[in-house]
Amino acid sequence: MALLEVKDLKMYYRTLRGQVKAVDCVSFEIEKGKALGIAGESGCGKSSMAITVLRLLPSNGHILGGEVRMDGLDLLSMSEEAFRKAIRWSRISMIFQGAMNALNPVHRVGNQIVEAILTHEDVSRQEAVERARRLLDMVGISPRRFNDYPHEFSGGMKQRAIIAMALACNPDLVIADEPTTALDVMVQAQVLRAIQDLREKLALSMMLITHDLSVIAQTCDDVAIMYAGKIVEYGTATEVYKKPLHPYSMGLVSAFPNIAAEKSPVRSVPGFPPNLVSPPEGCRFHPRCPLADDKCKTEEPASVEVGGNHHSVACHKVDVTAGGIDIWVQ
Amino acid sequence: MGFRTYLIRRIVYALIVLFVILTFNFAVFRLMPGDAEKMIIDPRFSPEARMALRKQFGLDDPPLVQYWKYITSLLRFDLGQSFATRRPVASELAERLPNTIVLFLTAFTLTMVIGTAVGVYAAQHRGTFAETFVTGAGLFTYAVPTFFFQLLLLMLFGYYIRIFPIHGTMSAPPPDGAFLRFLDRVHHLILPAGSNVIIGFGSWALYTRNTMLEALGQDYIITARAKGLPRREILYHHALRSVLPPIVTLIFLSLPGMVTGAVITETIFSWHGVGRYLMDAVLQQDYPAAQGAFYLIALAVIISNFMADLVYGLVDPRIRVGAGERR
Amino acid sequence: MNGETVAGQAAVQPAPRRKRSGIADFWAQYRRRPYGLVGLVMLAMYIAVALAAPLLTPYDPRKTEFFLADRLAAPIWARFIIPRFRNAPPTSRYTIHPDQWKVERQERASLSFEEAGDRGETAVIRFEPSVEGGGGARSELSWKVHYGFNPPNTFEGKVTYRVEAPPDGMTRLSLVIVDPEGKEYDIWGTAVYGEQDWTTAALDSRDLQMKTRLNMTIFDDPAKVIFSTKGDYRLVLKASSESPSAEAKLFLAPAKFNILGILHGLLGADHMGADLWAQLVYGARISLIIGISAAVIGVALGTTIGIISGFLGGPVDEFLMRVADVFLSVPTLPVLIILSAFLGKNMWNIVLLVAAFSWMGSSRVVRSQTLSLKERAFVEAAKAAGASDAYIMVVHILPNVLPLVVANMVLMMPVAILYEASLSFLGLGDPRIPTWGRMLQNARAFGAFTELAWWWLVPPGLAITLLSLSFTFIGNTVNEVLNPRYRERS
Ligand SMILES: Nc1ncnc2c1ncn2[C@@H]1O[C@H](COP(=O)(O)OP(=O)(O)OP(=O)(O)O)[C@@H](O)[C@H]1O
Ligand code: SF4
Ligand SMILES: [Mg+2]
Repeated sequence: MALLEVKDLKMYYRTLRGQVKAVDCVSFEIEKGKALGIAGESGCGKSSMAITVLRLLPSNGHILGGEVRMDGLDLLSMSEEAFRKAIRWSRISMIFQGAMNALNPVHRVGNQIVEAILTHEDVSRQEAVERARRLLDMVGISPRRFNDYPHEFSGGMKQRAIIAMALACNPDLVIADEPTTALDVMVQAQVLRAIQDLREKLALSMMLITHDLSVIAQTCDDVAIMYAGKIVEYGTATEVYKKPLHPYSMGLVSAFPNIAAEKSPVRSVPGFPPNLVSPPEGCRFHPRCPLADDKCKTEEPASVEVGGNHHSVACHKVDVTAGGIDIWVQ
Repeated sequence: MGFRTYLIRRIVYALIVLFVILTFNFAVFRLMPGDAEKMIIDPRFSPEARMALRKQFGLDDPPLVQYWKYITSLLRFDLGQSFATRRPVASELAERLPNTIVLFLTAFTLTMVIGTAVGVYAAQHRGTFAETFVTGAGLFTYAVPTFFFQLLLLMLFGYYIRIFPIHGTMSAPPPDGAFLRFLDRVHHLILPAGSNVIIGFGSWALYTRNTMLEALGQDYIITARAKGLPRREILYHHALRSVLPPIVTLIFLSLPGMVTGAVITETIFSWHGVGRYLMDAVLQQDYPAAQGAFYLIALAVIISNFMADLVYGLVDPRIRVGAGERR
Repeated sequence: MNGETVAGQAAVQPAPRRKRSGIADFWAQYRRRPYGLVGLVMLAMYIAVALAAPLLTPYDPRKTEFFLADRLAAPIWARFIIPRFRNAPPTSRYTIHPDQWKVERQERASLSFEEAGDRGETAVIRFEPSVEGGGGARSELSWKVHYGFNPPNTFEGKVTYRVEAPPDGMTRLSLVIVDPEGKEYDIWGTAVYGEQDWTTAALDSRDLQMKTRLNMTIFDDPAKVIFSTKGDYRLVLKASSESPSAEAKLFLAPAKFNILGILHGLLGADHMGADLWAQLVYGARISLIIGISAAVIGVALGTTIGIISGFLGGPVDEFLMRVADVFLSVPTLPVLIILSAFLGKNMWNIVLLVAAFSWMGSSRVVRSQTLSLKERAFVEAAKAAGASDAYIMVVHILPNVLPLVVANMVLMMPVAILYEASLSFLGLGDPRIPTWGRMLQNARAFGAFTELAWWWLVPPGLAITLLSLSFTFIGNTVNEVLNPRYRERS
């Protein structure tokens, strides 16, 4: 059984202009010790999906269907209190996007880690402090900085402190939502290396959200490509990276011709992402897809498995894309 | 900038303001058109006495010398003699100061506590009546002139339904026994202090609610939720704690407003305090008295501003330890 | 909520530029906000009242029109809701023309009428010379009036007369009120020896003189005693003459008799019997003038300082901002109290003082906006093109901070109004002009409380409150429309 199993998950935001279909029938699994990368354009619903799993929705976010299971335990039907105690941080922890502000400026960094430990584990404060120091040390921060306030940390140190905090309760799964976007390039590399090291050392399960496919290719076992609230392609990282089958993934991958090359922000696929209040009929990608035909405009493609290794794609034209032609060459 | 530098800067700043106030006092009371003499020396004195006093006050000295003497005497709280009572202004003020402090502290503490509590409550209960109430109360604070509201209360509770005394700090003669005397004072305090609380707590609550909501929308609150902290913990230890610096600062920053508001409150309720003393003095052209009262009020304002800075520095770790600018 | 929707849209299309130009666009956005509209309607009403003040009331409170009614008269409508005013009298004013006098009795006297220059028609009573032992001549004229209310508190009258008589002649004149039951009250009298030119005698039921004449104590109210029944009253003018050497003549110009109402006008009367409604209506003018001019001056000052400070930077900036800090830490109301006491109770002094202590807020906002504008390309370009600092500040910066300034100005107005009201209330206002603050002060100082005259207290207070509220609504809405970034989150 997979560690985390998400099936047909649906989460919409209610707004004055209608429902934002941010997460729409999303399914995926994360095996123990494996890392799943999630990639997609800004606004496609990656963060929304992550906070849905942790049930941290804003007041206008509503889960309208689907299942989230952890070791078979239904996470969505648990009471808030039970979920808070049993799941949050103790089993799933999260590194937030834009983590520069994820630390409370009025509390000492070390204490913020200790607080997480004391909430979930029955240990003495002494022990918690000890562990927090070790964690800081592990992510490369001198334990002497335990009593510093966040404003005394650099951006990269803050981010590493947050990683340390995410590991505080030995979670089964760490969700990292663009853990490096707020940092400058040098620091990004450091932080990524830290994450990678820890993952290897601790055999962590991870869900890594990023814009940057190359990061996923380096770090993750599986990858899910999201477009407009849906997962359009899902498979092992190497396979999807080497041989993407969905026109959108192909576009994303071709934006990174070379993993080793200098990192650049996603050169986006031409066109704009759709409005999630009223996404296009049929295949949501059709207004931007060079292969789109009438069927694509009316009929939503189901996700079908191609080949082994749970490589699945939601596209009517898999036969064409599987042919290996570069559809994005103008 | 360390806390020490910060502190020194604030002290220097407070001293500058004090200096400005002293100069203002000097300028207004000595350099105004007309003879300075009539501002300082009771015109009812005989010419000989006036001459003697002129000498004593150094009115014939060059302005700079006068200025120096003036400042030093004010700093020594040597505030001259009231025209009206011919007693030293300093001792008259000293008599009234406790009354003002009692009124002021009561009103201030209650406003603060009630306002903050209501604001926190409203932030927790969005979209409920509490929210409408707080918004309304905030608007009330902003639009209704305090003195109008106080007059209404006075008419309602002092004259229509005579349940509160209409003036003064205590009954004359005061009742026997310490406890009864205490109750009598409280009875006299209710309208003046209560009206200030009702007028004032709304803007407090609104401000607290807004900053709380802002804090609750911060990333670190989501982190705290993700960490699985209980609701109360998030609310108090994270949200409230992090808005404490601005709130505490505002508390102290609103001190001056309340100090000066005392002038009106004391006038309306005939409260035997410093504010009313100022008004009486101004209206009777008792210049030494007016000047003394003004000086005392200004001093209170400077001190409360300084305390605002000090407390802000103490509550906000960004100032207490290391870099950061105020506001 | 709104913000989130905008976020939802942002991903789809480039965010629409919120700041559009043109009054039409501004209005299109403004009109969608109910609070803004309510504020505008309220303000429009105030302006209408201020402009139409002379049409709304016959009285002008800037002139001294006292004792239009009794002191602390209640509003007319109090009759319907307050039992003790159910049958209270309104003010009745009578002018008794010479030909309205009815002759009751004449002894060796005759009445005729005569044109007397600018006095108009006068009544002339001729008294025959008195004869030894036969006594003098006398005449009694009467005038009838119906009174149908509860007793009034005050009546007053004026008798204007002239006497032509030989030096040894003595003419007596007195007024007597005869109540419906025939009881007589001798309220006034005088004796003239020889000749006397036109004289006006004022009689007033509050005067001690009348009370003594009626054998009453100073605590008694002649008006209450005399007009204690309903029915026809007669005012009798008794004149007599003893003039041995020649004939005597008494000339009577029109006389006046007023019963001051316990009910008066829409809002009653103040302690001087002046009309409160007129004060309220004219107060709108003053408040608007004071509020608007103080805010305009203050914000203009703040804008100038803010732009200069932000644009020039360096020591100028440092200095100006420290000055602002000092102004902010000074206790405004006491300073205003002291200064307005010294500078004299004048409306424009108050305006200038309030302005002088209300520029700091806008100067800070404008400064920070200027700081960010300074970095923008068009300013750099202007600089590169050799434009002078002054030119850039006026032509490039000023128009861009204007939206902030406008909103600030509107929000400043209620503050200015409240300051003025507070000062007036404390007795430091301009004594020549009617303001709401002064109405409140008078109410407090002159008995509104003991008389429970809430109609004196509530209207001016409410007027201030609603006016500040309307400015607040408008200001916040203008802010929302023009400066969405500064919008308060909901
Ligand atoms: N609280 C909310 N209310 C309404 N809509 C929201 C809310 N939060 C996010 N959205 C919308 O939901 C969609 C998905 O947002 P989400 O933050 O999940 O995207 P993302 O993939 O994480 O983007 P990014 O890469 O920029 O972080 C977006 O269109 C966003 O505008
Ligand atoms: S379904 Fe059609 S439109 Fe959608 S990606 Fe496949 S080819 Fe393109
Ligand atoms: Mg995101």
